[in-house]
Amino acid sequence: MTSKRFWDWFIFPGGIWIALLFAVPLCLVLALSFGHVDDFGRGVYGFTLDNYKDVFDPTYVPVLLRSVGYALATVILCLLIGYPVAYFIARHGGRYRYALLAALVIPFFVNYLVRTYAWVALLSDQGLVNNLLVDLGLAQEPIQFINTPFAVVGGLVYGYIIFMILPLYGSIERMDPSVIEAGKDLYGSPFRTFLHVTLPATQAGILAGCVLVFLPAVGDFVSAQLLGGPDTYMVGNLIQDQFFAASNWPFGSALTVIMMLFLAVWMVFYLRRASRGEAEVL
Amino acid sequence: MSEPFYKPRFLRVFTGLVYLYLFIPIFIVIVFSFNSEKSLQVMQGFSFRWYSDFFNDPTLMDSLLTSVQIAVLTMVISTIVGTALAIGLVRAHSGTAKGFNILMLVPLITPEIVAGISALLIFSQLGITLSIWTIVIAHITFSISYVTIVVRGRLATIGTEVEDAAQDLGASKWESVRLVLVPSLWPAIVAAGLLVFALSFDDFVLSFFTTGEDAQPLPVRIWSMIRFGVSPTINAVGTLMMVVSISAVALAVLVPRLFGRRESGVKVLTGAEE
Amino acid sequence: MSEIELNRRQLLLAGAGLVATAYGLSGCTVERPIDKSAAGDVVEPKIDGDLMIFNWAQYMDPSIKKSFAEKYGVAVNEVNFDNLEAMMTKLRAGGSYDLIFPSTEYVLRLRNEQLIRPFNRSRLKSADTLSKFYDDPWYDPNSEFSVPYAYYTTGIAWNTKEVDTLTGSWNDLTNEQARGRIFMLDDFQEGIGQANLLNGFYLNTDKSDQLETSKDTLLDQKKGLRGFSTNSVQNLVSGAAALTQAWNGDVVNARNQVDDPSIFAYETCKEGVPVGSDLMCIPITSKSPGTAMMFMDWVLKPENAYKNVMWNGYPMPVAGGREAFAELVKDDPSIDVNLDQLADSAMEYRLDSPEARQEWTRIWTEVKA
Repeated sequence: MTSKRFWDWFIFPGGIWIALLFAVPLCLVLALSFGHVDDFGRGVYGFTLDNYKDVFDPTYVPVLLRSVGYALATVILCLLIGYPVAYFIARHGGRYRYALLAALVIPFFVNYLVRTYAWVALLSDQGLVNNLLVDLGLAQEPIQFINTPFAVVGGLVYGYIIFMILPLYGSIERMDPSVIEAGKDLYGSPFRTFLHVTLPATQAGILAGCVLVFLPAVGDFVSAQLLGGPDTYMVGNLIQDQFFAASNWPFGSALTVIMMLFLAVWMVFYLRRASRGEAEVL
Repeated sequence: MSEPFYKPRFLRVFTGLVYLYLFIPIFIVIVFSFNSEKSLQVMQGFSFRWYSDFFNDPTLMDSLLTSVQIAVLTMVISTIVGTALAIGLVRAHSGTAKGFNILMLVPLITPEIVAGISALLIFSQLGITLSIWTIVIAHITFSISYVTIVVRGRLATIGTEVEDAAQDLGASKWESVRLVLVPSLWPAIVAAGLLVFALSFDDFVLSFFTTGEDAQPLPVRIWSMIRFGVSPTINAVGTLMMVVSISAVALAVLVPRLFGRRESGVKVLTGAEE
Repeated sequence: MSEIELNRRQLLLAGAGLVATAYGLSGCTVERPIDKSAAGDVVEPKIDGDLMIFNWAQYMDPSIKKSFAEKYGVAVNEVNFDNLEAMMTKLRAGGSYDLIFPSTEYVLRLRNEQLIRPFNRSRLKSADTLSKFYDDPWYDPNSEFSVPYAYYTTGIAWNTKEVDTLTGSWNDLTNEQARGRIFMLDDFQEGIGQANLLNGFYLNTDKSDQLETSKDTLLDQKKGLRGFSTNSVQNLVSGAAALTQAWNGDVVNARNQVDDPSIFAYETCKEGVPVGSDLMCIPITSKSPGTAMMFMDWVLKPENAYKNVMWNGYPMPVAGGREAFAELVKDDPSIDVNLDQLADSAMEYRLDSPEARQEWTRIWTEVKA
């Protein structure tokens, strides 16, 4: 057997599995998005564009925009919070680096739901934060933290920040320290060195982190469900409702397709960079 | 490492604050899991009652068993398939390999809700009733990618010299893979397997879309508990799950050491260079 | 072969496959029809396995389930839903529940789709004290497929310590004192229904212009809402809700969970009081239908019905339940509901055509978005 064929046998089980159980189902979603609902509320395949017309209806476009907006806010916050932390661990962690990384990861082993619910307990009207504020006299009556967009974004940041910090760390750690030396000589101030040397050198990690946070955040529904209010409805909630409450699978599929198309643009951008070595390959 | 030319004091404080922010909810979960009263705001006394509630609740115990079963099945199958995939992808230089290289990454960056819906659709279409098996199948689909990434990272640092040497000595291609390559990959394989165990055990969104009603994994149960009436049992469950997941990953980090490698398991997992 | 070429070829292949799939599938429904051969088989009461109940959350006293499990040596498990459409979806997907709790309209829909099994009510020993009202209802002629569990009104429940300016009208959902801490039921019929009543329309109207008006009402009400939720009990008890659209039993259940019961109050509204009944049915996918029937009998026993009513606050139309509810009403007449009200069909949720239902769900999705 030729060399190529030999290795192909290794590829096929996994490759076929992913193709059949990931790619094909996605095609089904695409196919159903052109369908409609029958009298009993079941989805039927067909050739109508109605669902797509509905997706771009003025009622739903705000939901899509809101999801992207929240996800973007999440990415920016994760980057602002995560970069200094990753930088500190990579460049100043010394021999405690791995311990610090391990400690960083531990909170993320508590189930996402339980973690998010802990924030509900913390931020609710009679929660610890409000109790503290009232006891300290900083507030007359409880401030409403949850059921607001801030709580939802906060929940998203908390849920996904680890996916920003780890790639950033990898990238920063791999950076050649002598480049910083050179930058010091060239630019003089720490800030300019950071801007012109460190940031560009770590852009692979930044890109990977942004993609790893942005993509799941757009489709998240847990945060909005637990921490959000009636005006924080995200596309993930809308899709979930179509499948489990409103029984409109074709519309839900169309929403999913639109969301995937939007994300696919970023996915392709990332994959291209990754294969060219310009982004951290996971 | 070069001398930083400013004291990292700001960075140190900032990082400390971030760690505090990350850990506060965890402390809440752990501390209140031992609360003697129902309150989630005031700690009234120390008690194991929520843990005993958990262990005495047949539905929750069922779910725990289900979660473990799913995680084990996922781990075993995806490790085998994913390792093979990684070996094939790195050693082959064909166009097929290139295509699958990309295909393999896609499940990792797809939002789980999309994966969940597509899984739900194909199971409905094929008339497969949702059950523990549908969850396992869905979990394996994304786990293969994780295993491939971890093993591939390790594999890239191993050249073909040893396999070539084995073949010179008369081993067949298959034998050289089985008897030479795989053993040298073993730490990465185990690490990947344990990682996948932890991910599967903790998974919510995908399980939510593919679960039947009699074998609901723990995170899906937790979702119902949160939506329909919380009791502090949820904190006990969360703490226990955390212990299980941490143990799995701690093993993943320690196992390479046990194999006499001097690199830390973290390096194996993240593929960082020596 | 370069990457780009490969991708293009893969795309073409995928596209071709897609078109072929679409052609092949068009007209097919997504869900494979479930095996309905058992649809006509009458269920006999006998223990034939463990019980899986599919019910609203906090709707049945846990001690009733426990005592049944102990007496008959079977496991009694419960899974919850928080709206009836979700229940339908799960059932159609083949979920093998043994006992479900649909409302009247859903019993009709389940019967039409042949998703529930008939049983002989005379085989239930505790069923002879059931109110005659349920003997031959519009949704289940001859009562072959269902047995009543509870009935209810929809109104408004609130925390008296936070709000004291109520007017006995559905306008209270926009009460200024409670603004920002108001919940509406996450149920498309309850939500649109109260808007219809406020606007003076028929509860179940299917006229597009009227529904659009109600939608505007809802969007207006949404501004003061904190959320949509059917877990009124939990929202009241945790303090998240100062005021919420709720079902009458919820306020009793909430009172049972706090130290000072008097802080919760309930009112029905002058524009109209929606009423309804929840019934017990056995799905065709049930694995232990006999056990389910025995459990129905168990729940309707006078002593269990009494306990259940005292626990969840909803009247049960059976001996034991009636007495318990009378006691509760003595303490709080506002939760009262009687079968004459139920006979007024104008106040019961009922959408007769699939188009109407789709219109309603569409409006509701737009409101929530």
